[in-house]
Amino acid sequence: MDQVVDIADFAVSDDPRNTLVTYSLGSCIGVAIWDPKVRVAGLLHYMLPESSLSPEKAKANPSMFADTGVPALFRAAYALGAVKRRIIVKVAGGSQLLDDNGAFNIGKRNYVMLRKIFWRNGILIDGEDVGGAVSRTIRVTCDLGRVTLRTRNGECQL
Amino acid sequence: MSDAGKILERIGTLPPLPDTVLKLIRVLDDPRSTVDDIVETIRYDQAITGEVLRLCNSAYFGLSRKVTSLGDAMLCLGTVKVMQLVMSVHTTNLLAKAQTGYGLDPGVLWKHSVAVALASATFSDHIKATSGSVAFTAGLLHDIGKVVLNDYVADEFGEIVRRVTEEGVSFIDAERKVLGFSHEQIGGMIAEQWKLPEIIVLCIRNHHDPGAVQPSNPLVDVVYLANCTCLMLGLGLGADGLSYRAHPEVMERHELHESDLEKLGAQVLIDLKRVEGMLVDDSRTDDRLQLTGSRQEGRSRR
Repeated sequence: MDQVVDIADFAVSDDPRNTLVTYSLGSCIGVAIWDPKVRVAGLLHYMLPESSLSPEKAKANPSMFADTGVPALFRAAYALGAVKRRIIVKVAGGSQLLDDNGAFNIGKRNYVMLRKIFWRNGILIDGEDVGGAVSRTIRVTCDLGRVTLRTRNGECQL
Repeated sequence: MSDAGKILERIGTLPPLPDTVLKLIRVLDDPRSTVDDIVETIRYDQAITGEVLRLCNSAYFGLSRKVTSLGDAMLCLGTVKVMQLVMSVHTTNLLAKAQTGYGLDPGVLWKHSVAVALASATFSDHIKATSGSVAFTAGLLHDIGKVVLNDYVADEFGEIVRRVTEEGVSFIDAERKVLGFSHEQIGGMIAEQWKLPEIIVLCIRNHHDPGAVQPSNPLVDVVYLANCTCLMLGLGLGADGLSYRAHPEVMERHELHESDLEKLGAQVLIDLKRVEGMLVDDSRTDDRLQLTGSRQEGRSRR
C-alpha cells in the first residue's frame, strides 16, 4: 500500500506491505532510508536547507528543513529498530531553474547542506539522482528497500 | 485547420469566469474601491454569499458564534481572506481538472495556482509596491493558458521534451517552437477575451519573462517570483518541471536575496495548507478537489 509523504513531511514504516512515496520534488530533496536487517524504511521530503531561517517554523515542523528533518527521520527509524551503520541512504531532487548565474539555487543549497550533515555524521549516500530541471517522484518499499525514481524521462531503480 | 488555428478557436470555447468573479476582479483592481464596494459586488450572488458563509461557519475556524452576513464574514476573517476564498473556490471548475499534457493530476493545477496566488500576495506586501488583491488574482490565473494548450502539449510532448533536453531551451520556448504558441501567450489572449484589467493580462502574458515588459512592472515581477518559488518548492509541479529560464535581475531590482524567497516560500506552504484545510473542511468543495500532491511527473497519454 502506498503511504504518501507530503512536502515538508516524513514517514517511517516496518510494515512489509507498505511503500513510502513522495511526489513533486523540485528543488526539495527526498531522502529514502532502509535498514535491511529489521526492514525499516523511511522517507523525508524537505524543502529548505537551514532551520535558522525560521526556528519557529522548524519547531512546528522539523521536516521543512534539512538540518532538523534528517535527524528527525533517522531518530524515527531508530525507534523502529534501525541501526545507523546498516542504513542504506538514497537521495533525489535538488532541481534548479535554468539559471546560469545561480541566483535561484535553493536546490543546490539543499543538496550541499545534506552532504554536510551526512559527512559530519559519517553517513554515505548509496545512490542519488540530483540536479537538472526535472520534477521527481521517489518511492521506497519497506520489504526490500527498493527505491524507484520517476521523472518525465521515465522510471528507473536508484 | 492548422494547429495554431485550432488553438485560437479553442480559446473562444473556454467557459467564462462567473460574472461576479469578473466584477470582483475589476473592483479589486480599482484603488478607489472600499470594503462596501466589495460586499456590494458579492451581495447579489447567492451562490457566492452562501459559499462564504458556509466556509466561515465550517469547523475549521471553530468560531463560537454563527456568521450570518457577508459583513460579519469580513469582520471575522478579514476582507482579504474572504476574497481569496471566493476567488479560489470559483476557479476550481476551470483549474481543478487534470491537465495530462503537463503531467498534472486532478486538482494539481488548481493547487499550484492558489499557491502562486498566495505567494504573489505575500511578495507584493513584501516589496510594498503593488496591491495584494490584484497580485493574488494575477497569480491565481497565471497558468490559465495551460488549460487550452494542454491537449496540444500532450500530442507533441515527445518533441517538446526533446528540444528542452537536447537543445537546452526552456519549456516555454519549446512550446512556442513546436506549437506556435506558449501557454503564456494563450493565457494572455484568454485574459483579454475575459476583459480582465490590463495589468493582469500583462502578468499572465509575461509570467516566465518579466524582462519582456519595458519599463519593468513590479506586479509582473511579483507574479514571476511567486511562480519561481512555488515551482522550486514543488507546489503543484508538472512534467515541465523547472525547465524555465531564471531572471536574477528581478531579484536585484527589488533587493531580494535567496533567503527572502526561502522565507516567503516557507510561509506560502503554511498558507496553502490553511486554504486547503478550509476547503477540505467543506464537504461540498471537497468533492470537487483532490487536494493531495502531484501524483505524476511522467505524462499520461489520453
